[in-house]
Amino acid sequence: MDFLNQTFLLLRKDLLLEMRRRESLLTMFFFGTLLLFVFHFSFDLAPERMAEMAPALLWLAFLFTGTLGLAQLFDAERGNHCLEALLLSPMDRGALFLAKTAFNFILMVLVEIVVIPLFWILFNLRSWDVIPNLFLVTLLGTVGFCVLGTLLSAVTLKARARELLLPLVLFPLMIPVILGTIRCMESILRAGALDDALPWLRLLIGFDVIFLTVGVLIFDWVIEA
Amino acid sequence: MGAWGFVFLAYGIVWGAILIYWVTLKRRLRRAETELAQLRASEELQRNAET
Amino acid sequence: MAEISTNSAKSKGYLGGLALISVLLGLYWGLFRAPPDAYQGEVQRIMYLHIPSILTAYLSFFLVFVGSCLYLWKREKRDDILAYSAAEIGVLFTALTIVEGSIWGKPTWGVWWTWDARLTLTAILLLIFAGYLMLRSLTEDENRAASAAAVLGIIGFLDIPLIHMSVYWWRTLHQPPSILRPDKAPWDNVHPALLTALVINFVAFVLLYFYLLSQRFRLGEIKEEIKARLLNRDN
Repeated sequence: MDFLNQTFLLLRKDLLLEMRRRESLLTMFFFGTLLLFVFHFSFDLAPERMAEMAPALLWLAFLFTGTLGLAQLFDAERGNHCLEALLLSPMDRGALFLAKTAFNFILMVLVEIVVIPLFWILFNLRSWDVIPNLFLVTLLGTVGFCVLGTLLSAVTLKARARELLLPLVLFPLMIPVILGTIRCMESILRAGALDDALPWLRLLIGFDVIFLTVGVLIFDWVIEA
Repeated sequence: MGAWGFVFLAYGIVWGAILIYWVTLKRRLRRAETELAQLRASEELQRNAET
Repeated sequence: MAEISTNSAKSKGYLGGLALISVLLGLYWGLFRAPPDAYQGEVQRIMYLHIPSILTAYLSFFLVFVGSCLYLWKREKRDDILAYSAAEIGVLFTALTIVEGSIWGKPTWGVWWTWDARLTLTAILLLIFAGYLMLRSLTEDENRAASAAAVLGIIGFLDIPLIHMSVYWWRTLHQPPSILRPDKAPWDNVHPALLTALVINFVAFVLLYFYLLSQRFRLGEIKEEIKARLLNRDN
């Protein structure tokens, strides 16, 4: 239970910091909304094609917004040797991993709660009843993104051209999550349920579980001062 | 391009690339070995000078 | 760092010689001895390159994984050298696999590129390899670069089966049947006469791979020693 306590403490610290400054959250909100506008101008979206295009566009928006959050993920620890202090403390580093993952997850979910309805409004969609199911699938995908993203954000912490390198290494590895969530969302938008997309759902859940476990175990070696 | 044309294109590119990589690798190796030999020689000299 | 003995240099020479002989044998068998395929004609001979290439690429990634695990566990420099040497040669063979697949595709499917499962997966593999090498070169401190790359190597390797599954499902579950869909892998139902050529070429590629790897590894070791001596001298 000590482990969970540590995780919670670290998460609470990040949330408190964020509530005071709101830097990450605001930039992510604005960026996500901006992307929706750009999509509207870039794509000619006939209503019949929305079932195929909506999941992809939504996920593009979340991917880029999430990457923005990832880039800032360890900013709180940058100054004043905070990271070294954290690492010197007798704390399980897996707890740091879970806390950071949970923090990015919360930020992304807050953005998704706003962006999904906004998407429905801006693109004149009618199918409001599928949103809860859609949201659940999005949550699963967001977990996968945050888990891998946190790992790779820590790994690229001291690299040059970090803003470019992080998406470069992250996106290919995210392909199962991208394919999985989009297929599930397509199924929901077309049929209202996940029937033919069940293998994808299992893949998503498997992905989340595997990398959550790997992350907790491996984070000791990932983060070094 | 006939069938053999494609075959030779593929074989040409593949073995060409492998050859180029091998040659450049050999070159890098030779340069590194010379540098190492020089370092070792100068260290020997230093050690002899100190004793 | 231990001095490189002349014995190991000799055995590398033997490996190189062996690789060369088997490559030449493979060329002879693949281009002359083996008959053309009943369906694909002469173009099928490209498969004698393509299949060994992709298998070698995966072997490479496995070695990256092994080197990465060992490095994180024992922190010995040679495991890191193994990992990035395997990555560098892996990039070469993966890129070649894509080129071979594309050239094979043109007469077979009529297009230079298609997003079929195999080509897509190979392209993804190339991206992951390239990301590994970029991460290594862009990270400033040597030790941190090594551990960062090792973590990426492990995560990448663990992800590959998942990526495989997702891309295969994507390409086969809702794809309408068409001539452009090669749902049969080119190595399914290989005729025995062609099998010999395939096996010889496969052996040739593996020997060649290990020869190149051993040379690249040696280069890495020498560079490490140079660095260590320069560091010593500065102190």
